[in-house]
Amino acid sequence: MIQLFHVSKYYDRRPALSDVTLEIEKGEFVLLMGPSGAGKSTLLKLLIGAERPEEGQILVQGRSLSKLRPSEIPVLRRKVGVVLQDFRLLPKKTVFENVSLPLLVQGASTTEIRRKVAEALRAVGLDHKKDLFPPGLSTGEQQRICIARAIVNGPIMLLADEPTGNLDPDLTSEIIELFKSINARGTTIIVATHDPNVLAQVNRRVITLDHGKVVSSEQGAS
Amino acid sequence: MRRLLYLLREAVANVLTNRTTTLVAVATTAFTFACVGVFLLLYVNLKTMASSLEQDIQVMVYLQDDLTEQSRIEIEQQLKIDRAIASLTFVSKERALADFQAQFPSESRLLQGLGQNPLPASFVITLAAESRSSDAMRRWANRTQLIPGVSQVQYNQEWVEALAGIVRYIEVAAIIVGVILSAASVTIIANTIRLALYSRREEIEILGLIGASTTFIRVPYLLEGAALGLCGSALSLVILKGGFELFRHQIHSATRFLGVDALLTFFSFDMCLVLMLVGLFLGCAGSFLSLLRFGEGRA
Repeated sequence: MIQLFHVSKYYDRRPALSDVTLEIEKGEFVLLMGPSGAGKSTLLKLLIGAERPEEGQILVQGRSLSKLRPSEIPVLRRKVGVVLQDFRLLPKKTVFENVSLPLLVQGASTTEIRRKVAEALRAVGLDHKKDLFPPGLSTGEQQRICIARAIVNGPIMLLADEPTGNLDPDLTSEIIELFKSINARGTTIIVATHDPNVLAQVNRRVITLDHGKVVSSEQGAS
Repeated sequence: MRRLLYLLREAVANVLTNRTTTLVAVATTAFTFACVGVFLLLYVNLKTMASSLEQDIQVMVYLQDDLTEQSRIEIEQQLKIDRAIASLTFVSKERALADFQAQFPSESRLLQGLGQNPLPASFVITLAAESRSSDAMRRWANRTQLIPGVSQVQYNQEWVEALAGIVRYIEVAAIIVGVILSAASVTIIANTIRLALYSRREEIEILGLIGASTTFIRVPYLLEGAALGLCGSALSLVILKGGFELFRHQIHSATRFLGVDALLTFFSFDMCLVLMLVGLFLGCAGSFLSLLRFGEGRA
């Protein structure tokens, strides 16, 4: 579903990614491991069209991202759920409003929004908190709301950049279990992390990056 | 519908979040629009006054004293078929004398001393609307002067030309001041919107991440700019109307018997609507500029 061919990306002439070639199948759960500055976040940014590679080609569902017009980028992003370390929730909007945003920008009907938001909140176990505001929630709950927002419109893939960076080991386990259950429903998941707790709990394919290069790609036990 | 409500709510939220900046922007925009409005009002009033005076201007075609009745009738017929003339009245020598005596009774002794009536017969002519400009009037006068039997064509040429000149200058000044101050208004609104954009940049980034189109992200800010421009221009009209009424009151007190204040007019309702639409458009332009600078990459 995702193919990268000799992809390179530079910031101020320094390579963030260098000649990366890899393929991720539909329904896979992939961990992108590596130290800070290895190029994990850059790779995720390329996959949502936030950055463009200087060299190489990226295909998502057979479509080249380099050939996307600026007006087509939002269409791509509606198929991709994004979870970030700092949650990026809107503090002045309720949980319901935060989760409904991706549906709202697509022009979904009120009935559809209510149904899908309720489903997403049930999936993360927070349907009883829909009227609260993010600052009133714990960090684990905020991350789960962020995941609900990422899955509310049934994305083909979910990209998570250090999703457990602000969470303790218990909450990390909770989030990983959530990702597993989402993956079980067929959504491709790519998690960029350097957290060994995540690696310990996810026995799936691990792609290791270092200095912008893929140094290994190993299949887990499961 | 839900999307439209969301966009409107966001625009209102933008205004409320930056209340002080918004108020300052509306007040400054209103002041700059009012400055342009002063020139426009001056222009509109002078233009009205000029066309009103042009209507009142009458041209005197004086006839030679030794003209026969037949020649006078021929001249009258020639003038009657002239398309530049709206109406004409013949004033005989006797009538001219009677009018003079009626208007200036104390000076009528001077004429008695001369023995015979020195006042010439004349045609009092009102020109057609399209021939009332100073150039057309001059051309017509030169042509009429050449008719045999006409001794002189007289009208207040200097006054007509001076007024036309002033109106032209005011027109140019209004355009120049209008362009400069409109650019200033656009800049003020652009800066206000830029502040709103920076204060909500995180939200804009989130909207971009979840697949909001550029239009979806931009609309609340365009609405905010439009609202600022509209409020600014509406407030400027209120300021102008207040200033105009004050000025008219002062003029009324100073020239009570001349009725000059009755000649002064404020913008018509249609003109007010046009000015408010211009404000709205300039507000949108200011927002658009800021959004362009803020960059699509961020959005």
